[in-house]
Amino acid sequence: MRALERHRKLTAIWSSEPGFRGWFSTVNHTDVGKLFLVTAFVFFLIGGILAMLIRAQLATPHSAFAGPEIYNQIFTMHGTIMMFLFAIPTFEGLAIYLLPKLLGTRDLAYPRLTSYGYWCYLFGGSMLLVSMVLGIAPNGGWFMYPPLTGPIYSPGINTDFWLIGITFVEISAMAAAVELCVSILKYRAPGMSLDKMPIFAWYALVTALMILTGFPPLILGSILLELERAFGLPFFQADLGGDSLLWQHLFWLFGHPEVYIIFLPAAGVISTVLPVMCRTTLLGYGWVVAAAVALAFLSFALWVHHMFTTGIPHMSLALFSAASTLVAVPTGVQIFAWIGTLWKGRPELHLPMLHILGFFVTFVIGGLTGVMVAVVPFDWQVHDTAFVTAHLHYVLFGGFVFPILAGIYYWLPQVTGRKRFFRLGEIAFALIFIGFHLTFLAMHWVGLLGQRRRIDTYLPEDGWTTVNLVSSVGSFIMAMGIAIVILDVVVHVLTATRGPRNPWGAGTLEWAMIIPPPAYNFASLPHVASRDPLADDPDLPLRLARGEGYLGEPREGRRETLMVDVSSGAPEALVVYPANTRLPVAMAAMTGLFFLSLLLKFYWAVPIALAGVAALAWRWVWQLGRSVDEAPAPVGHGITLPSALGADRSPGWWGTSFLLVANGTFFGSLLFGFAFLWTVAPGWPPPALFEASLGEIAVGVAALAVTVAAVESAVRTNRAGGRPLAALLAGLIAVFCVVAVCAVMMARIPAPTEHAYYATLLVLTGYALFHALLTGLMFAFLIARVRAGFTSPSRRAEFTIVSLWTKYLVLTGALVLAACQLPDLFT
Amino acid sequence: MTDVMRIVLSPLVWLASFSAVYGLNGLLCGHGLVDAAVGSLSVQRAILVGAYGLALALQAAILVGLHMPRFASSSGFVRGVSVATGMAGFVAAAWSLMPVLTTSLC
Amino acid sequence: MMATLLALSGCGGPLSMLDPAGPAARDIATLWWVMLVGALLIFVFVLALVVAAFRRPRTAAPTHSPRDEAARERLFVVTLGIAFPVVVLLALLAYGLVIGERLLPRDEPSVVRVDAQARRSTWDFTYPGLGRTSRNVLHIPAGRPVDVAITTADVIHSFWVPRLAGKLDAIPGHINVLRIEADRPGTYSGLSAEFSGPGYSHFKFEVVAHDPAGWADFSEDGTE
Ligand code: HEM
Ligand SMILES: [Cu+2]
Repeated sequence: MRALERHRKLTAIWSSEPGFRGWFSTVNHTDVGKLFLVTAFVFFLIGGILAMLIRAQLATPHSAFAGPEIYNQIFTMHGTIMMFLFAIPTFEGLAIYLLPKLLGTRDLAYPRLTSYGYWCYLFGGSMLLVSMVLGIAPNGGWFMYPPLTGPIYSPGINTDFWLIGITFVEISAMAAAVELCVSILKYRAPGMSLDKMPIFAWYALVTALMILTGFPPLILGSILLELERAFGLPFFQADLGGDSLLWQHLFWLFGHPEVYIIFLPAAGVISTVLPVMCRTTLLGYGWVVAAAVALAFLSFALWVHHMFTTGIPHMSLALFSAASTLVAVPTGVQIFAWIGTLWKGRPELHLPMLHILGFFVTFVIGGLTGVMVAVVPFDWQVHDTAFVTAHLHYVLFGGFVFPILAGIYYWLPQVTGRKRFFRLGEIAFALIFIGFHLTFLAMHWVGLLGQRRRIDTYLPEDGWTTVNLVSSVGSFIMAMGIAIVILDVVVHVLTATRGPRNPWGAGTLEWAMIIPPPAYNFASLPHVASRDPLADDPDLPLRLARGEGYLGEPREGRRETLMVDVSSGAPEALVVYPANTRLPVAMAAMTGLFFLSLLLKFYWAVPIALAGVAALAWRWVWQLGRSVDEAPAPVGHGITLPSALGADRSPGWWGTSFLLVANGTFFGSLLFGFAFLWTVAPGWPPPALFEASLGEIAVGVAALAVTVAAVESAVRTNRAGGRPLAALLAGLIAVFCVVAVCAVMMARIPAPTEHAYYATLLVLTGYALFHALLTGLMFAFLIARVRAGFTSPSRRAEFTIVSLWTKYLVLTGALVLAACQLPDLFT
Repeated sequence: MTDVMRIVLSPLVWLASFSAVYGLNGLLCGHGLVDAAVGSLSVQRAILVGAYGLALALQAAILVGLHMPRFASSSGFVRGVSVATGMAGFVAAAWSLMPVLTTSLC
Repeated sequence: MMATLLALSGCGGPLSMLDPAGPAARDIATLWWVMLVGALLIFVFVLALVVAAFRRPRTAAPTHSPRDEAARERLFVVTLGIAFPVVVLLALLAYGLVIGERLLPRDEPSVVRVDAQARRSTWDFTYPGLGRTSRNVLHIPAGRPVDVAITTADVIHSFWVPRLAGKLDAIPGHINVLRIEADRPGTYSGLSAEFSGPGYSHFKFEVVAHDPAGWADFSEDGTE
């Protein structure tokens, strides 16, 4: 087969539907990645316009530009949009677009999930935009502290938009995180062992793991606050056994890692682009990986530094102060590794390099002020002042926007296949750099002079007038710079000057393909033997196009790629992806219906939406099945591989494992909240403990035991070639017993609106009930599969997946049982 | 996957011990153990210092383990990175829990 | 850069934490100046390293032998990336913790205690033992430590008198104690420093520090 013919065949197999219709049915990572990036950039512009409004308002004292009602919405939406609708989705888009190309493969692990995530993001983000257009946007500040945001002090719908819209958007972050983890660990080019992974993949892996464990506390907090607002469950009301500090813990348990979730991908961009700009390789690759991992973990133990002024014991403050200063060490390792890379190579001042220099200047200042606010007494003064606003923008703009701009200019030729026409980028850089520092250096100063954040006006006597004016002028200079960047990019996309294939002389695989990239990425998958495969073998693109790699023979319209061993990158199994489908967008719409009916309090529609989601999910999974066994197939280089569906650790198994990590974090946060309220909240002990019932304990434990025994037996029977219908049916019945126990317990909880204790028990039992129902659905699914003849010893993947969920149910169910029943037994 | 576990084990254990000490102190402060003392040593301080020692011992054990042929990875790269994160975990434990020795309790 | 800023505006102002009028604020202002100088030094050093990388003479082609690589890693990663921050940060942490300990409210015979309760747009102060109350003006004796017990009747607020001390939050159901002290008699502006919805921008109060005679008058006087 000639290269051109192969190209035609692969394109026919892989490409999205043409035109507008294709947008809704595409599951291709290149397309969805671009959609993500463009959407996120639009949100950046909206957030930026809001920032200009803020600066216009603060430019002079006594400003009458916007009253507090509107102004509060403006800064809340600015912060919210920038953090949730710009920064995180930009990472998702970048990783979705780049990773398969960097890793030398054809797509991410779950193409339909990629697309589902995008639609959730778009729909959820649109909900927030609608609220803004209607003038009922959230107005409690981006961290939404109750009681201000509780039902008593914010009765309107504004806060609900935040809680529900952001949770909806978060689904897309979780989906992307699960997918990226599995893709990086299991979907790489053969031979790419962990030490040969492009450094960006390491950063993306660490970031994705952080999203999995960082977002659940916020999702939990949002659910609890929404329950309080909608149904009066008093989790955050001090006079009813709740505590507003619980929100702060849950929020910052997410909020601090969030900052590193934003920074780490940007650091990944620097680590990728900087060495190329210096014609060398990254100094201390292993150290940088270790630093990124250390940074990720450290960042989970810093959250209390946002709560230094809440009156927590000094010892606790000291612990978090210590941890917060420590986090500067791994950051320092990376900074100096990059500087060492500059010294090692021959740095050249291309446009991406300019933005990297902008990053150095800005981020180092942000890091230094960060260490300052980690020192407890200093934070007592500057907390909640403009100093902190200035610090956070040095970190976020310096640590994210500059690197992303570097990345945009670096990868734009890869995306479009063109080269830059006018030299507008340099002027834009100068304006952004100067404007940024004028704006925010000044804000440090007014902060020290006592200007609080989030005020809509001030007095001439306060002595802040000049500095604020300077700051506002600076921000408009910066805005002009951003506008020129947009112009530059648009001109780049529209002008028809073909660029060279590897304009920067990079060594990573995203440049080893035709540009703009074809839908299938690589005509055949490379065998990777070093960190810079393209540098070792400049002819690689040609050889891949000729089909000399793996999977060079397109087969019967199937989208094929390889799964590899996590550590060594040895090929393990052959994966066939699902093709274009509108299922993801339908699923996202149904999910949206669920959230919308919660928002508008159409509670009768909630069960309908849930049933719809369940039905679509059923179809979603059903489509993956095969009614006949797949024989092992040749994949090139004389290797024959089995289908991934026959593996104990199938793609679904991996995804489930990571999803359960996130779910476990959610559950752990819930237990933490319970313990926190019990020990710290005023208004405890509750009027009476939940009465223990030996009957419930006995039935519950027995039913859980039977469930897990049943699933294990089903796994074994299937592997031995039998039809495990009896075991599955027994499991299903046992699961219904679990459901019944949960329901009885929920019914027995006295007045959940009267004390946070009862409210928490309600959520705990509700959690168990939900998982029991879910497991029941899975048992039913397996029964349907077996009856339809979709299972066999070599089509066993779904059994191990259900087994994972069942064990999770047993674990959490037992803990819920203990948390509800034991306190009474032991007093 | 074991290789990935090797890399994250030590920081994970650090995170757990840090949270545990933080929670323990909050608990002890909330439940009036502040004034209990044996001689000149306050009981609360003794408990916290004990936890500090335990956390360090755990980290040391992991570091030793990462060096032992039985548990070390077969990949040189993973060995290097896991020892680096192991050191990071140890230093993090020693550093971040140090206030237990010096700072006033509640 | 900082110089331009200094030129743009001084350190004064009714709400400036850099114009301290009490021991706590003074300790923190000193801490700030120390950290500012340290940060500037580090910043200049890092930037110099970056600039120098561009200015290095390019006589020979850069070498990539494993030995050079290891030496570079030792220099940049271990020495500059690990050892240097560790030393600086340990010193800073110790300094911060010592000051933090010093600012804690501890039992002392001369301490005066007042209770402060915030609700949206007002602060109510009560003076246990004196049987007095005041609204939006806190009276204290100058030159004596004062413990303010802070709480709230509605949402979260924060008690902050920048020239006297750092801030401490008023949280429903909790009482937090902040130690403040004014060196000299005078009037000091205070702010509510946690966003509390519309009206937040104007949510302010005052602290009046009395000389001994004035304080005696205040203590004996029945109403305000
Ligand atoms: C485009 C240039 C930007 C300008 C001129 C700008 C300006 C501002 C200003 C003046 C405030 C303070 C409002 C106040 O509390 O008084 C603010 C708040 C904030 N900004 Fe930005 N910003 C920009 C970009 C960003 C970016 C890129 C991010 C994040 C990735 C971001 C995140 C935030 C957050 C989280 C807040 C806090 C909102 C709150 O207090 O609830 N900003 N911004
Ligand atoms: Cu933080």
